[in-house]
Amino acid sequence: MELRVTERVSKIRWIFLPLGMCALVAVGTHAAADVVGDKVLFAVDRVDAFFDAIFSSWSVTAPLVDLVGLGERTFFARAVALAWELSADALLAIPLLGYDERAAADELTIARVLVKRRPSLRLVQPAAALLVSIAGAAAVARLLQGTLLHYPLIGGFVAATALFGLFLLLAPRAVFRSLEHASAQKTAIGLLGLAILGPLAIAAVASL
Amino acid sequence: MKPRLPLVELVLCALCLWAAWYHTPAGALVRTAGAWVFRTHTTARPLLAYYGAGTLVPPPEHALPLPGPVPPAQALAYGAFAVRADLGSPPAIASRLRSLAQTLHSEDAAALALFCGEETAHYAMEHAGSQPHLIDLARALPPSKTCVSQAAQALMLGGAYALAWPLPESVRITSPFGMREHPLLGGRRLHAGVDLGVMKGAPVRAVADGIVRRASSDGVNGRILVVDHGGGVVTSYCHNDELLVGDGDHVRRGQMIARSGNTGRSTGPHLHYQLDLGGEPVDPLRFRAQRPKTAVGASD
Repeated sequence: MELRVTERVSKIRWIFLPLGMCALVAVGTHAAADVVGDKVLFAVDRVDAFFDAIFSSWSVTAPLVDLVGLGERTFFARAVALAWELSADALLAIPLLGYDERAAADELTIARVLVKRRPSLRLVQPAAALLVSIAGAAAVARLLQGTLLHYPLIGGFVAATALFGLFLLLAPRAVFRSLEHASAQKTAIGLLGLAILGPLAIAAVASL
Repeated sequence: MKPRLPLVELVLCALCLWAAWYHTPAGALVRTAGAWVFRTHTTARPLLAYYGAGTLVPPPEHALPLPGPVPPAQALAYGAFAVRADLGSPPAIASRLRSLAQTLHSEDAAALALFCGEETAHYAMEHAGSQPHLIDLARALPPSKTCVSQAAQALMLGGAYALAWPLPESVRITSPFGMREHPLLGGRRLHAGVDLGVMKGAPVRAVADGIVRRASSDGVNGRILVVDHGGGVVTSYCHNDELLVGDGDHVRRGQMIARSGNTGRSTGPHLHYQLDLGGEPVDPLRFRAQRPKTAVGASD
């Protein structure tokens, strides 16, 4: 009976594994973008002060200074964080849907070959996938533990198991698929990836 | 190829999908699109509401009318009472908050305990490090907890009730908060703060502890300081003659931060003092029992 269930589940791995990896990375990018949002607000304040100084120089443009208040600046900062997160999802999470599973040994061999390829800019995407996956695994574990906060022992056990499982079973595959996908990309996308994913990967570490 | 732990993988993937579906803006986007295609109802929040762990909230529509001066120790209690009147009288809430703060070693955690329960606050404290703010505590909890938003509003209002005044109480208001005929540009516009008629060079003091978010100069606001006091409480001080602190500086309540002046678009020496709660300008007098007198004078 148990074997039959396992067999049935095995048959649909091709759909749930890519979806799960995509979701794991999406959770990680959100955790990172939430950290980025606070920093963006400070940057938006600086940019607003710069434009206020320019626009206030002429009476025609002076009313524009009052156009952007604190509420608008906060809204804009959050919107930037959202756009950043969705761009990272497009670069990092969506390609994971194309994951085609192979034997673990084969995946390792392919990964070794791909890592040695030049330019090394291609490694930005898999490196970001690794950090974001870890942040995602931690966020999922935190959510589980928080949901079960009234049952601390069970919550702690479930969260630790999920963290361990995600780190061991899903994160390496996400990194492999990112490496595979990045290797097939043009360098221009690699540069774009660096600009978008670099700060987010650092923020992912800060979110832990 | 032999699959590795398929059932475990299925459960892990389901957990990731649950987390992404309910707790990320990308999930909300897919849910909203799905609801639009299938013409069904969705519980997805607005996309930007997924940031700040539910602590980025607007101020409540109405604030509690104050019967008299709010004792600083009871400011948070008044804030909590304004959010949920069924919690008891402000002095009773203050006593409960004091006992919670003693147990939890944090005012933010005490507010969280008041709205979400002690067990939840203890759990959040264990997972948020030492001396955490509400946002750190909230990040340890599932984002769907609506009580976090209530605690955030209480802390915001409590912060507003606890604010001091930037100038001596005797300084008169020359233009109050609200819609008015603009003295320089004409037309009806919202005056987002209060103008306090004061001579050039008078010391302007921080109304609470905070971090200077902006110290800049432009032709409209003149020399302007924006101070973030945390919890969504931000104050601005415009038309100063001289700024005594810079970007990123920490300021203490009562610290001299500027000298008032007549810089920018102004009809004479005065201080434009503005209070923003949750990113929206509100009348700072709403949170003060003692109201300065009004007088005809300089404005912006």
